Amino acid sequence: MRQARLTVLLTLGMLAFTGNSTAATAPTDAIKYRKAVMSAMAAHTSAFSLINFGRVEHQDHLIAHVDALAALGTQLKVLFPAGTGTGDTDALPLIWQEPEKFGQLVTASEKSTAELRAAVAAGDKAATMKAFKAVGDSCKGCHDRYRKEDD
Amino acid sequence: MAARPGLAAGSRTCVALLLCLVASAVAAASAEQLARGRYLVHAGGCISCHTADRDGAIPLAGGRRLETPFGIFYAPNLTPDRKTGIGGWSDTDFSAALRHGRAPDGSPYYPVFPYPAYAGISDADVAAMAAWLRSIPPVHNPVPAHELPWYLRSRWLMLGWNLLFFDPQPFQADPARDKDWNRGAYLVRHLGHCGECHTPRNLFGARDDSRELAGNAAGPDGGKVPGIRQDREQGLGRWTLDDMLLFLELGMLPNGDFAGSSMSAVIDDNTSQLTGDDRRAIAVYLQSLAPLDSP
Ligand code: HEC
Ligand code: HEC
Ligand code: HEC
Repeated sequence: MRQARLTVLLTLGMLAFTGNSTAATAPTDAIKYRKAVMSAMAAHTSAFSLINFGRVEHQDHLIAHVDALAALGTQLKVLFPAGTGTGDTDALPLIWQEPEKFGQLVTASEKSTAELRAAVAAGDKAATMKAFKAVGDSCKGCHDRYRKEDD
Repeated sequence: MAARPGLAAGSRTCVALLLCLVASAVAAASAEQLARGRYLVHAGGCISCHTADRDGAIPLAGGRRLETPFGIFYAPNLTPDRKTGIGGWSDTDFSAALRHGRAPDGSPYYPVFPYPAYAGISDADVAAMAAWLRSIPPVHNPVPAHELPWYLRSRWLMLGWNLLFFDPQPFQADPARDKDWNRGAYLVRHLGHCGECHTPRNLFGARDDSRELAGNAAGPDGGKVPGIRQDREQGLGRWTLDDMLLFLELGMLPNGDFAGSSMSAVIDDNTSQLTGDDRRAIAVYLQSLAPLDSP
């Protein structure tokens, strides 16, 4: 009897514990993670452009950078959970006030990175240039509306 | 004898040809002037201010709300609508507004309209912009009145401001510098008015040109605007010419981040629309600006 009660208690305790650890990421960590992913996208964009505009060799690296960009592009949509709009962040509250419009920019960015990947994979230089510009416009467009200026 | 009619016919075609040539030269000049005017309106960044900040807003039809430490301004409609735009303005009216900050009735504009920078725009460029603005479709769009504190509501106060801070000078090319540098100086200091945001301002909102382009702690949206001289920390000292060209075309910073806030409109409406030569001229000029703060 006592044994059974103990087991039940233990099980409940474990459930509570595991429940806790998956449900609640600290907002500070969610913000850190968001910035880390953004910085990773930037690093691949920078490396990509150095190759793409002929400033370094390494043509064979190009696909690695667009693969990473396209993969990170699909992660944008989970980077802005509710409750991560305050603290050490430049994300503006507008993100959570107009989720639909923000969502459109997330989708557009995901699409543009996928198109860049496709253009590079196809070896199509003109399409690559065009798609790279579209990726840049999607980064710039979102930062313009949803990222705070330095203050 | 047989030669005469031939000659006469020849000279007649010649006259006709001449007329044709003259006529087409006039037509070509004006088409060229219109194209040039359109280009210059982009290079002048007029679109960023004179277009409302909402999806589907008609370019240059006005209505953008500009929040400043001195109050809220609404940029006017620049389409040739007679009631709500600048339809019916002469070249002289347009030039006085753009380069002297004076309305057709003689009253002064507020310097949130960057006429202090535009004062150096050339006569030919002003005429081309006026011609193109006259050629776009008129849009009826009344713009709200500015919302200003009582002590700034009279425009005529700006006569005092102009007296203290405004000394319109035409652009003077520096013969000691090359063509690119001079073109860059013209684009940066006058038409592109980069200093309106990147140069710090004094208490009265006038640019402190002793620290030209050294960065501005209180930019147009209240945020900080970085310096763009050759300082290594607070400037472009670590940028190469190629970094600058890519930034002016695409908005990409050397670290792969993309500029946002008010600079993204400058890139979209102005620098990305320029010819490669003009972007290069801007970069060459910026690279010549010695650092102010770092040794
Ligand atoms: C859908 C909107 C959106 C898109 C698309 C987007 N960003 Fe961002 N980005 C943001 C927001 C919001 C922040 C501010 C995040 C914060 O401070 O929490 C940010 C921050 C950043 C940062 C700064 C990170 C830090 O450490 O502070 C970089 C770098 C960056 N983005 C690069 C990019 C690049 C490169 C792209 C395109 C490939 C891109 N972003 C696309 C919204 C976006
Ligand atoms: C920083 C924003 C800004 C930029 C850039 C700007 N303007 Fe303006 N402009 C204004 C504001 C604000 C006013 C109204 C000023 C006032 O009411 O005193 C104005 C007024 C004018 C007027 C007078 C209109 C009227 O109805 O009285 C003209 C003409 C004009 N601008 C032309 C231009 C042209 C051409 C350019 C580009 C070369 C340009 N502006 C760029 C903000 C701007
Ligand atoms: C309406 C205000 C405004 C005008 C006009 C303007 N800028 Fe900027 N600029 C900014 C702001 C704000 C930033 C910072 C953007 C960011 O960090 O996302 C910036 C950033 C830059 C940067 C990147 C600096 C860095 O270290 O990150 C360069 C280069 C630049 N501007 C050049 C120019 C040039 C050249 C012109 C004139 C053709 C110009 N700007 C006109 C507001 C302006």
